[in-house]
Amino acid sequence: MHEESDSTLIARAKDDPEAFGLLYERYVGRIYNYIYYRTGNHHDAEDLTARTFYRALKHFSRYVDRGAPFSAYLYRIAHNIVANWHRDTGRRQIVAIDGLMLTTRERDEPATMAERVEEQEVLLRAVRKLPPERQQLLILKLVEQMSNAEIAEVMERTEGAIKSLYHRTLVALRDELADEGK
Amino acid sequence: MEDERVVELISALADGLIGVPEAKQQITMTDEESRQITPLFQLAEQLHQAMQPVQPSAAFVHSLGKELVDNARRQAALSRRLRRAVLIGAAAVGSLLSIASVVGAIIFVIVRWRERAHASTAQAPTG
Repeated sequence: MHEESDSTLIARAKDDPEAFGLLYERYVGRIYNYIYYRTGNHHDAEDLTARTFYRALKHFSRYVDRGAPFSAYLYRIAHNIVANWHRDTGRRQIVAIDGLMLTTRERDEPATMAERVEEQEVLLRAVRKLPPERQQLLILKLVEQMSNAEIAEVMERTEGAIKSLYHRTLVALRDELADEGK
Repeated sequence: MEDERVVELISALADGLIGVPEAKQQITMTDEESRQITPLFQLAEQLHQAMQPVQPSAAFVHSLGKELVDNARRQAALSRRLRRAVLIGAAAVGSLLSIASVVGAIIFVIVRWRERAHASTAQAPTG
């Protein structure tokens, strides 16, 4: 069946609540992923995903479709909500072991698996020490597998700036890991 | 090596990592470049492996979706009621203004008529 474009759904959703539901279904997974990697646990990811969509709905009547992807609007809301969450709670981020276990190979020996989990924990801890915008970039690039052009729209920067930020992020991460290893 | 060149190469490698097919074809580098870039690319590969997409639970997606649509319905009903109230209010104000202007016009005519009657009585010869 032909899938309605975002623009069509957005126009419909102004008067038709079901259309907003369709937009939600289209993007809930991506927003959840983004928030999960920013918070590190499923419980907060669910809570903040819900807040993101409630806020999007609350301000939806004022949303103007200027041709930018609807996801950019949602990512910006999610980014602000996560930033507020970090600021308000001052919580230490938790490295989610359940997520990490998925990335280990089933054939691995328990010791190898544990070592791999430990390595990934260290890596994700280092990622979460990065400034929010750099974390956002890594999630959009490596988890969401978005193009530089798409990331540029979400983060309101040029493609060149995104490429440059990606390079600086990897360098900073490498240095952080080297410091931890000392 | 120019920073810009490194930035472009790292970016192309990242695109290759996430499965952009044309990205890999664009990558040609010297041994020196490769030596400098490899550690960063390996780090990106590790990150890609560690940061696998996760799925929200189906129950969560379903219940939040239902709540949002219910909420959107309530919001739409509320704004419809608000629009109707504004419309009725505007119509009521309009009606009141119309009635007031008709009453005003009648009073004006009566006052003018009385003034004229009074003036003609005053001007009429008395004797």
